[in-house]
Amino acid sequence: MTISWVQASILGIFASLSSMPGMAGSTIGNYTLGRPLVGGLVCGLVLGDLKTGIAAGVAMQLVYIALVTPGGTVSADLRAVSYIGIPLAMVAIHAQGLAATSGNAADLAKSMGTLVGTVGTVLFYGTATMNLVWQHIGWRAVEKGQFKKLYVVDWGLPWISHFFFSFIPTLLMTHFGSSAVTALKTALPMDGIPMKTLFTVGALLPCVGIAILLKQIVDSPVDFIPFFVGFTFAASLKLNLVSVTVVSLIFAMISYKLDMAISTNKQAAAVGVTADVVDDDEEDEDI
Amino acid sequence: MDNLEKKKISRKTLNKSFHYWFYGHLTAFSQEHMQTFGYLTSMLPIVEELYDNKADQEKAMKTYTAFFNTEPQLGTVIVGVTASLEEARANHGNVDDTTINGLRAGLMGPIAGIGDSLVVGTLIPVILGIALGMSDGGSPLGAIFYIIVWNLLGYFGMRFAYFKGYELGDKAVGILVGAQGKAIRKAIATVGGMVVGGVAATWVTVNTSFTLKNSSGKAYLVLQDKLNSVYPGLLTALFVVLCWWLMAKKNISPIKVMLILVVIALAGVLVGFFNPGLSY
Repeated sequence: MTISWVQASILGIFASLSSMPGMAGSTIGNYTLGRPLVGGLVCGLVLGDLKTGIAAGVAMQLVYIALVTPGGTVSADLRAVSYIGIPLAMVAIHAQGLAATSGNAADLAKSMGTLVGTVGTVLFYGTATMNLVWQHIGWRAVEKGQFKKLYVVDWGLPWISHFFFSFIPTLLMTHFGSSAVTALKTALPMDGIPMKTLFTVGALLPCVGIAILLKQIVDSPVDFIPFFVGFTFAASLKLNLVSVTVVSLIFAMISYKLDMAISTNKQAAAVGVTADVVDDDEEDEDI
Repeated sequence: MDNLEKKKISRKTLNKSFHYWFYGHLTAFSQEHMQTFGYLTSMLPIVEELYDNKADQEKAMKTYTAFFNTEPQLGTVIVGVTASLEEARANHGNVDDTTINGLRAGLMGPIAGIGDSLVVGTLIPVILGIALGMSDGGSPLGAIFYIIVWNLLGYFGMRFAYFKGYELGDKAVGILVGAQGKAIRKAIATVGGMVVGGVAATWVTVNTSFTLKNSSGKAYLVLQDKLNSVYPGLLTALFVVLCWWLMAKKNISPIKVMLILVVIALAGVLVGFFNPGLSY
């Protein structure tokens, strides 16, 4: 499997649309086109092998299922994962002669994708830095009261940043990377230590994505309890995700009602006189 | 001035402002001014409609040159709130720069917190989780399902947030950052925590191939089976907690954590703890 210039250019355009500050806006860009699952669909269509594309996308999506970018700090920018990593993983899967939907193909995709995906961080900071130039033009326009120019600054000029930091890297890496990946096959036998390690890493990497998200909601060990309850529901009781969500709603409701009861209680206590009466009310609710 | 007819932003202009935010909130992103330009473009139609003379327009636009960044989906509510405040300023002028920017600065932190756990932490993983199941085996169905469901929820959710913010105006602040806002945030974190646990158990599998064999080659200890009889998915859960501990408690960056996992994988393969069982 090789990737032609035309195919590589299409992937380059999708990379420009899909990153965190991507040109399709964050809802359609980052959170739709940037998701590896959707990237798998696009790459599958572009490279003419839908099944392998989707399978690689599914595998890679697991690594980044919970990717958050708190305050604009990124650990990985998905344009490289979805539009450089997936195409190269597809080539690798073909080169290794693996069945598209096998577990080994998925693990290979995860490792390849994540490896290439780290390039995305560089691309992200490159784009953001170049955007400073356009913002500078924007500030000058604001000073002079030429507000219409803001539209060009916000919607037009960042395309130039993406040409250099999304389009060109994707074009070159997918076009030339594909022959490099095929050459890897002969250099690294499947049962050797490097390949075994690569596959194992692929299985371990999703833990990082999950942990990044947990970081947002877990401060102390007690906060882990909801996580483990959900984990137990799925692992031991075999509930699917929708069912886990439904069950979690009852706990959310209890937590909300309890907090609201406590805060009304506090307000009443602050007022002072009626504190005792409200205390009784709250005990009733606890029962 | 007071005798003049009360100024009101037209529905058409509000729509325009919403769509400019929906599309452009992050396109001109830089580390220095993250969503500032998105904010300026979405306020411009409103400012142009409310103020006829250039000097007033310039004064109003200056307000929105202050730094802005929040979770973009839920953050739409803040744009709606400021649209309403700008309208109030155009009418009687007891709202000033400081009011508007104080409110924006006060809202963007809490909204980012709720938005990250609600949108990125819960909603997207749940839709993706359902979609991944549908795409198992290489079917495009899951990807198509995700594209449709997420975009409908994203678009109409953001639209709702914008117009709700406009309708409530500064009253939204009390709801979002007061005691009720805090209670909502905790409740959402509970849902988020449980769903993420479900995602981990469903989609992440860390297995060990470690076995002990007796002299005739028969395995008498299969570690994976033993671990599963203690707690199904134990090894997966341990690795998630390890990654969390490295990042949250040791302040190690995600990229470095990934490198640590490479080292663990290599060591594990060498001692026979991990073996993906490959064959051509």
